[in-house]
Amino acid sequence: MIDGYKRLMNVEPPPAPEKAKGFFTDTSLCIGCKACEVACKQWNQLPADGFAMTGNSYDNTGKLGATTWRHVQFIEQAKANSNRQDQRWLMMSDVCKHCANAACLEACPTGSLVRTEYGSVYVQQDICNGCGFCVPACPFGVIDRAPKHGEFEAGTAHKCTLCYDRLKDDMTPACAKSCPTASIQFGDVDELQDRARRRLGELKARGETKAQLYGMPEGEEASEVGPLHAFFLLLDKPQAYNLPEVPRLPRKTMGQRYGWSAAVGVGFALVGALVFGRR
Amino acid sequence: MGAQGGGEGYYDYPVVRRPVWTWEVPAYFWLGGMAAGAYVTASLAQKFGSVDDQRAAADGYYLAAAALVPCAPLLIADLGRPERFHHMLRIFKPLSPMNLGAWTLTAFTPVAVARAARQAADGGLLRGPLGALARLVPAALLELVGSVLGLALGGYTGVLLAATNVPMWAKSKVLGGLFMASALSSGSAAVTLQAARRGVPDATLHRLATLEAAASVGEMAMLGGYLMQSGKTARPLTAGRFAAPFWLGAVGAGTLLPLVLHGFAGRRRGRMLRSLSTAAAVCSMAGSLALRWTIFEAGKASSEDQAASFDLSSR
Repeated sequence: MIDGYKRLMNVEPPPAPEKAKGFFTDTSLCIGCKACEVACKQWNQLPADGFAMTGNSYDNTGKLGATTWRHVQFIEQAKANSNRQDQRWLMMSDVCKHCANAACLEACPTGSLVRTEYGSVYVQQDICNGCGFCVPACPFGVIDRAPKHGEFEAGTAHKCTLCYDRLKDDMTPACAKSCPTASIQFGDVDELQDRARRRLGELKARGETKAQLYGMPEGEEASEVGPLHAFFLLLDKPQAYNLPEVPRLPRKTMGQRYGWSAAVGVGFALVGALVFGRR
Repeated sequence: MGAQGGGEGYYDYPVVRRPVWTWEVPAYFWLGGMAAGAYVTASLAQKFGSVDDQRAAADGYYLAAAALVPCAPLLIADLGRPERFHHMLRIFKPLSPMNLGAWTLTAFTPVAVARAARQAADGGLLRGPLGALARLVPAALLELVGSVLGLALGGYTGVLLAATNVPMWAKSKVLGGLFMASALSSGSAAVTLQAARRGVPDATLHRLATLEAAASVGEMAMLGGYLMQSGKTARPLTAGRFAAPFWLGAVGAGTLLPLVLHGFAGRRRGRMLRSLSTAAAVCSMAGSLALRWTIFEAGKASSEDQAASFDLSSR
């Protein structure tokens, strides 16, 4: 009977699982050209966000949002009166991390946010009703709700799709395709992880003591959100890139939070029984 | 060293995103919580109280139903796509506090309305065929089921806010307990207010007042725990533009003043008792609204505090 219903409703079987795909963003190779930002905007037909100078180095994008799914950061590190050799200019293309344990996905009450067959986190635009719960749930501040009365897909949540449409046609995501230095590398997550470990070894051997990976299964940052399918090689500690040291997954502490609620409720009921009962 | 040799993070950009919710959300928290508290109070009186207690507290069912009427519309209005509100019920996903809340509200509302209808029929307010239909409602069963659902409704809202990465909401583990206590104290206060207006026997009013006072004590305890655990992340609440409504409204009027007034009312009778109980109830209900509103707005402000986010996510 359920099969008959599914046939009637044109319910398709779920797609066959593929190997998990993701990004390894090697920030040591980023030249800050922003081709990734442009390619992402163009492929996904995202509107411009206005022309405003932030005054923060070459970063006039500011942050990820409903209509910005790649954001290049520019971190100028210079001490006053320092030697030129001590100055560094770190650049990083920020993106949705497609967490293995995604806070946004777990928060979503409508089932709009799903895990695709490629292991990415995806918002089904025809289901999202814009409740906005995913927005503050994300520990990285990635996903955002488009303004209710705007022109672009008003009222629903948006973020990087890992170019789900391109993946379905065996194409590389737009940002990785356009990156001129192969700073953004696309591939199978486990293969990328091996590559990342080797690259870290190379950099450390070359004297880059501050180089570190962010988002690997063995990292502390993965303790709650799991390994990040879009992970990074950073040249400084995560906070310098506004990345949280240990991104929090709300599910981990939900039990104790409900526990306190329940305790108060039970306590009130007991007091009520006593107050009304003992006369 | 952060950008341009400055502080820890990337310039002063926030780490997480500011919630997009607006005033409808704290308004719903307050009304839904009060409805839950009123229903539970009324049901406790039906189960354990004297005939006078039962009669006095049964008005709580009307209060609960009335408070629930605007709840769903408020939540629907807050959605980005209000016409898709029913998508909340596509799936049952109890690990998402918002989904759990949607189901709880959907289940609790008809239960509360049905129990109110039964009360109206019993009280002679609902006559004729409708009254006969309403008298079929199984009162005791709905009291039990509705109380469980009501406690869920009162208790999940704080957990929903805390199940985010907003520092002021997520750092402490007791926001759920705080909102539950606020719901129960404002709900029992609403029942007490109505009882005082109607002129119920003094003994009954004392009992209702005692219950409300106990809820206020619980709320104070939860508030203390919340502030202690939140530490610096609660600064947008305790200092700055929300400080006055928080300390005077939520803490003062919401928890301290009701206790003081109930204390004065301790040995009183008659009109003095009724006046003090009324004043305490109004303070409690207003304080509950102030608590929801200040924590909501100050929390949104805390989401833009880079340092608070790093504190929440530190090793």
